Amino acid sequence: MAKALTDVQKQMWESWIGLMRAAPAPTPVSPAMADQWRDTATQALKGWTTEAEKIAKDVGQRLINSQDCVLRFLELSLNSWNAIAPKVEAGEDWNTVLAKYTEQLREQFLLSPQAAQKANQDTGELWGLYLEQWHKLVQPWASSIQQAPWRVGQASTGDGSALVELMQLYGDAYERTFGRLIESPSLGHTRELNEDLLKGFSAWVEYRQASFAYQVELGETWTHAFEAFMRNLIAKTEKGETVQSLRELLFQWIDVIDQVFAKAFRSDNYIQLQGHLLNTAMTYRLHERGIVETFLKTSHVPYRSEMDEAHRRIYHLRKEVKELKKELQAIKAQLSTQAKSQPAQG
Amino acid sequence: MSRSFYLSPEQTMRELIDLNRKVVTGIERLSHVREKDIQAGVSPKEEVYREDNVVLYHYIPMVEKPFHIPVLIVYALVNRPYMVDLQEDRSLVRNLLKLGMDVYLIDWGYPGRGDRWLTLDDHINGYINDCVDVVCEWHGLDRINLLGVCQGGTFSLCYTSLYPEKVKNLITMVTPVDFHVQEGVPNLWAGCSTTAHTMDVDTLVDAFGNIPGEFMNLGFLMLKPFQLGLGKYLEMIDIMDNDEKLLNFLRMEEWIFDSPDQAGETYRQFMKDFYQGNKLISGNVMIGTKRVNLSQVRVPVLNVYAEQDHLVPPASSIALERYVGTTDYTLRSFPVGHIGMYVSGKVQKDLPPTIVKWLKERTA
Repeated sequence: MAKALTDVQKQMWESWIGLMRAAPAPTPVSPAMADQWRDTATQALKGWTTEAEKIAKDVGQRLINSQDCVLRFLELSLNSWNAIAPKVEAGEDWNTVLAKYTEQLREQFLLSPQAAQKANQDTGELWGLYLEQWHKLVQPWASSIQQAPWRVGQASTGDGSALVELMQLYGDAYERTFGRLIESPSLGHTRELNEDLLKGFSAWVEYRQASFAYQVELGETWTHAFEAFMRNLIAKTEKGETVQSLRELLFQWIDVIDQVFAKAFRSDNYIQLQGHLLNTAMTYRLHERGIVETFLKTSHVPYRSEMDEAHRRIYHLRKEVKELKKELQAIKAQLSTQAKSQPAQG
Repeated sequence: MSRSFYLSPEQTMRELIDLNRKVVTGIERLSHVREKDIQAGVSPKEEVYREDNVVLYHYIPMVEKPFHIPVLIVYALVNRPYMVDLQEDRSLVRNLLKLGMDVYLIDWGYPGRGDRWLTLDDHINGYINDCVDVVCEWHGLDRINLLGVCQGGTFSLCYTSLYPEKVKNLITMVTPVDFHVQEGVPNLWAGCSTTAHTMDVDTLVDAFGNIPGEFMNLGFLMLKPFQLGLGKYLEMIDIMDNDEKLLNFLRMEEWIFDSPDQAGETYRQFMKDFYQGNKLISGNVMIGTKRVNLSQVRVPVLNVYAEQDHLVPPASSIALERYVGTTDYTLRSFPVGHIGMYVSGKVQKDLPPTIVKWLKERTA
């Protein structure tokens, strides 16, 4: 353990030296430096907190994430500021430079959703993505189902050969129903499942669209936040105020950005987009469950709705028992009072 | 680099190195932290009643002859109740005990999938009522004092309106009453604004079953994403060489991320009737077969709110006065946020004596 710790420390300090070397002279932060810092810190966290409590590990990870964010923020802000500041000081038009950076940022934020939105129009490609999701979901399922009887057989009889047939049965059942349907949706054996898959597809498309719209809104908000932060710095500079430290700069950034996001979060547009994202995600989840349950039913495996129904019945029975117990106690108490109030006979 | 912007590459690099040195040292310190170091819920207590997942605790009194009418704390279903007894120097419970109170607390536990069907009826007419009965029986009393916290305060209001004969005095802390107050982002997100309801609670519950604690937590963190997700950890760097402050921070982190799932049917009704329908103040909330009418709350009420509360906006709590039937209503506030009500040193110095004095004055 001690050796492992020493190795990690050595490795980490070597990485730190690399980190220092990666720093270019004119600007304090570069993308390579940020990446290297993150790798180094994550390595250190893993090495040092192997035996630590979960909360300590979680906090450590959040700390590293925050540091990573700091470096990336610095990179963008300082580059922008380097371009804008001389204009501000010279009393020249800085709006054009700021607009250029803001537009670049907007493009960066919105590039991904826009590209995805384009892909959204291509149904064939979407169907492929949809099936990819299902493969991910079903593959471990199928393998676990195939392995489970074998393990059960080994444990119970010491010889799993009797269960091989059962395993094959499961495998065949999967292949006959869900497996083939996944591979070729147009040739589904059961119409119902095919229909569920298609409905699921439709729900998934809607969810993706909602997700893109939401990302676009967040991207816009990020752009506004960046612009607001830069304007805040410019206003300070014009007033002759100075930012003395990185820390001060960071907390100003957090203040400004939280304000911009807080305002956006209150807007009707954001609330509707967020609500739509949540609703479509949940609708898709319901479809997903329906499809998984069809598969489980075929494989003789209990499924979610079945368990929910069992829990519901138990819940009502439990409630009934509680009520009956209370009534019984009340009757007992009443009888006891009556018995005490009646004179003893005989 | 601009002269007005005194951040030279050398200076920034030095600051970064210093910052990162602190992070590295801090992570090393974190590796030595053990569960027992950040144990919350410090005041000695005993379990006196258990029903399903719910446990009623009695705190061991700290004076020989405690005040004869006990206080039952009803906490929210969201997060864990040990926030009222986080650590020795940040404990509402401990301060009440020191001032001679006899204190009970309902711990709702962690609902599992089997608890998905529990309703508000089960919580209010069931668990709270049963706990009140147990405390009454133990003390040979007909009525006890209730202290409801946040959502627990809303539950306590419902309970008091339905069972006025069992409540001597009611204290509500950071309690939402008017759910359509527009200052509250949670209210807006739940769909109280002028636009149509955007959150389909039915689909959410049908899809999730129980609402995951992580989902609830994400919603709370999104209210101040950069302060809570970034700024807080940057501030933490400065306290990492101070064991006491670091442990305090970790205890709070533990509490923030210790979010129980919400029983599906309870969440469904709470969101639809309270957040979306705002039925508590219109007198249309049904708890089982009983209608909640706040005008039936005729016992003395002490309503305490946090002036900088971003979860329960002050206006939402202050609204209570307009709807309760009591003639003995007291409003108090503290210049802190929602969580500051439990952990601020100043509040913990002033709030417990305020509660105790108020209770004693009403128990001649």
